[in-house]
Amino acid sequence: MGFDFGFALSTIPIIIGAIGATLLATVLSCLGASALGFTFEMIRRGGGAPGLAVRFLIDFIRSTPVLAWLYFLYFVMPVYGIRLGAMTVGIVGLSLYYSGYLAEVFKAGIDAIPKGQQEAARALSLTRRDTVIFVIAPQMLRNIAAPLGNYVVSILKATPYLAILAVPEMLGRAFDIASETYRYAEPLTVAGVLFLALALIVSYGVKRMEKLLLASGRR
Amino acid sequence: MSMLDIWLGILQGLRITAAVTAYGLVFAVPFALVFGVAQFLTTGLTRFLVTAVIEFWRSSAVVVLLFVFYYVLPVMGVTLSAMTVSALVLGLNSGGYASQAVRAGLQSLPAGQREAGMALGLSRPAILLLIELPQALVAMSPTFVNNLIQLVKATSLVSLVTLTDMTFRAKEISQTEYDPVAIYSALLLAFFVVCYPIALAGRWLEARVNPERGAPHGI
Repeated sequence: MGFDFGFALSTIPIIIGAIGATLLATVLSCLGASALGFTFEMIRRGGGAPGLAVRFLIDFIRSTPVLAWLYFLYFVMPVYGIRLGAMTVGIVGLSLYYSGYLAEVFKAGIDAIPKGQQEAARALSLTRRDTVIFVIAPQMLRNIAAPLGNYVVSILKATPYLAILAVPEMLGRAFDIASETYRYAEPLTVAGVLFLALALIVSYGVKRMEKLLLASGRR
Repeated sequence: MSMLDIWLGILQGLRITAAVTAYGLVFAVPFALVFGVAQFLTTGLTRFLVTAVIEFWRSSAVVVLLFVFYYVLPVMGVTLSAMTVSALVLGLNSGGYASQAVRAGLQSLPAGQREAGMALGLSRPAILLLIELPQALVAMSPTFVNNLIQLVKATSLVSLVTLTDMTFRAKEISQTEYDPVAIYSALLLAFFVVCYPIALAGRWLEARVNPERGAPHGI
């Protein structure tokens, strides 16, 4: 049984049909991971017991595989009566996992802002919230554009993990075809090529946006 | 089963986790060195080809890549054990990332280093081996530690191609024992116990290599 190119070609439209789920999981996970990562970093900066707890949580997340987190959330949440769809569990899992990485990105972005900015905000008696929103965040955004873009691509490449929870994204769809036809090589190769192409396109797009953002910030 | 029994049961998979990691490094280290250096030294078409190979391994989603090789190689008439396929795919993916650190490390050296070597009449390979690589590899060593942690975590994927690593053991135990909270907490804890010491070693290294960078960032 060789590699059937005709069959491989016939699976392309079916697998591309699931690109919506892949992109939705990517976008929502990026938003979730950014929000959670920024919150973590703010709590960590606050110090005290919550700061220490979050510092440990971030280290813990970064020392454990995303697959273990997905299993953990998928099987443990129902025990506590939380019943979510596989897609939601997957997005929560990717958000949680990547928040540990994005917290570090935000930390580096904030650390790179000169101290005088915060002191000036204090001198103008801005509240802590206003300082974060109007002084820190806009400057941080420019510092973190490059690493944040890289994590967007990383999260895209992590979405096929959701196939393991039977989410019908591109890899999941490829497995559906495989189990219906008993031919694994063709649909999986197609999924592999499509994911590689998508990652390269998104990676290129992210770099372009990064350049635009940096150019607009230059004085 | 007590929490401890479950944890010890999962740790029975540590041997496979360690074996895949070690075997993966056999692929990752030479790939990173050869391709990182090649990308640094070559120009034009050769550099394009080198970059294409690196990008294939680095930009593909590792989950998909593992399944593609696991199912496609037999169809092509290449029969490798699940262990070898896993080590090859995870190793070269990790090596692809590390190759970028090798190249970046070489590129960030001041041109004076190479020029001094030339002034001493050293050949290009001698300059690379005796002057450039030692400095670049030491400077990038914290990044290599991060790559190693990513590799250890990625080995959780081999549970999907029948290898009995820690993740596989967790799933096996969950078939006879209904206690997802204990089992999947224990799985996360098992990876934490393996990866966190490596992360701490990486931070120590970072502080040694880049003392001026200040606060260590790691994992």
